[in-house]
Amino acid sequence: MIYIFSITIIYTFIKQKDKLLREKRNMALYLVLSILGLSLGVLYIINPYLPSLSTIMGKYMK
Amino acid sequence: MNREVTVRQISFLFLFVSISSILRQVPEALALEGGKSGYLSPLWSVVATIPLTAIVILLIKAFPGLNFYEIMVQLLGTFLSKIIILAYLLWILIGIVAKVTIYSLTLQFTLMPNTRSDFFMVIMGLMVFYALLRGIKTIFRFSEFALGTVIIFLVVLFVCAISRIRTDYLLPVSTIHLKDTILASKHVIAVGGNIIIALFFADKFGINVTKQQLRKLWFGIGVFTILVFIITLLTFGISGPSLTKSLPFPFYITVKSISFFNVFERFEVLVTLVCILSDFIAISIFAIILVRCFEWLFNLKEYKFLYAPLTVIVFYLTYYLSSTQFEFNFLYRRIIVNLNLIFEFIIPLLLALMCFIKKKKIKKQY
Repeated sequence: MIYIFSITIIYTFIKQKDKLLREKRNMALYLVLSILGLSLGVLYIINPYLPSLSTIMGKYMK
Repeated sequence: MNREVTVRQISFLFLFVSISSILRQVPEALALEGGKSGYLSPLWSVVATIPLTAIVILLIKAFPGLNFYEIMVQLLGTFLSKIIILAYLLWILIGIVAKVTIYSLTLQFTLMPNTRSDFFMVIMGLMVFYALLRGIKTIFRFSEFALGTVIIFLVVLFVCAISRIRTDYLLPVSTIHLKDTILASKHVIAVGGNIIIALFFADKFGINVTKQQLRKLWFGIGVFTILVFIITLLTFGISGPSLTKSLPFPFYITVKSISFFNVFERFEVLVTLVCILSDFIAISIFAIILVRCFEWLFNLKEYKFLYAPLTVIVFYLTYYLSSTQFEFNFLYRRIIVNLNLIFEFIIPLLLALMCFIKKKKIKKQY
């Protein structure tokens, strides 16, 4: 899935290039969100058995 | 006047979005916390949902043509409003991720137990993406057209199921359980709070919103309460409270035993379909609200470029937030319900109080 998502992000960048480059704010937001999403994906590929947030919270909230 | 969205559409959308939670989470949560009398909790929920509807109507009337963010700016100032919108953004993000998770878990539990959850998520992602490309109006019109059919289906189910309801599962009701049923009603209130969706789209109603139009919100909350009561009554009356509290999707199991004059049966597939449609609408509308929150927070003029990175974030967050039914149950009961109460009740209530305090100043403006 990470490859498909990477291609989608690059495709969106090419298609929305004018709108993204017109304002720095748009570009910064796009980059931050893309990097965040892809890093979550890479992290999942490296370790798919990471405990979920619910499991971690469950330990402390019991 | 040709409005982009009407109050009637919002009311129908609220009902459609709530249906999946009513069918899936509410009966189980009420049985768990309210016990045998848990089916009475939807009646207590009106104590909170009616004032909330009144608050929503008050804010729409006091600030005609303004959306939730603009109302907040008028009442609290830009800085505080941005902080609150950031909190709403995170809440909506958690809401979408939870909806996507429970949608794939429902399909695995009911129709396709051997299929991987990624497959369901990709299909839903494509559907939502297509719906968003067609525009906000498409989503509202879809829920407007589909709701009637869904309601008729649920009424037919109710008629077929009346003879199967066991009174010993429902009675006697004792005052000892009064406190439990009142406390359990928070699960109904957390779903009924979805009526605040109206505030997010209040700018689309136009400046002249008549009393007759706003009455549709009362209609929405009325139908919601009746729907929750009937669904819970059916589930408790047929499956019993002890089975209801131990199943992940008790209404689905309840419907398995219902047949239409012993001729048609297997309605449970239709129940799954209704849940999927409701989830689709909920995810689409939450996605629109999420993007609107980004627009308000960063003063964006363009927003379509956000769809791709946000889809990636939501997809992978589903694995990090909760991946099994047990984890989801914990997340829903302990986190999402309480967050819903804060964002759907406490913040609008504070805004309504501010509205009363600044009443004179507002009247001068409008």
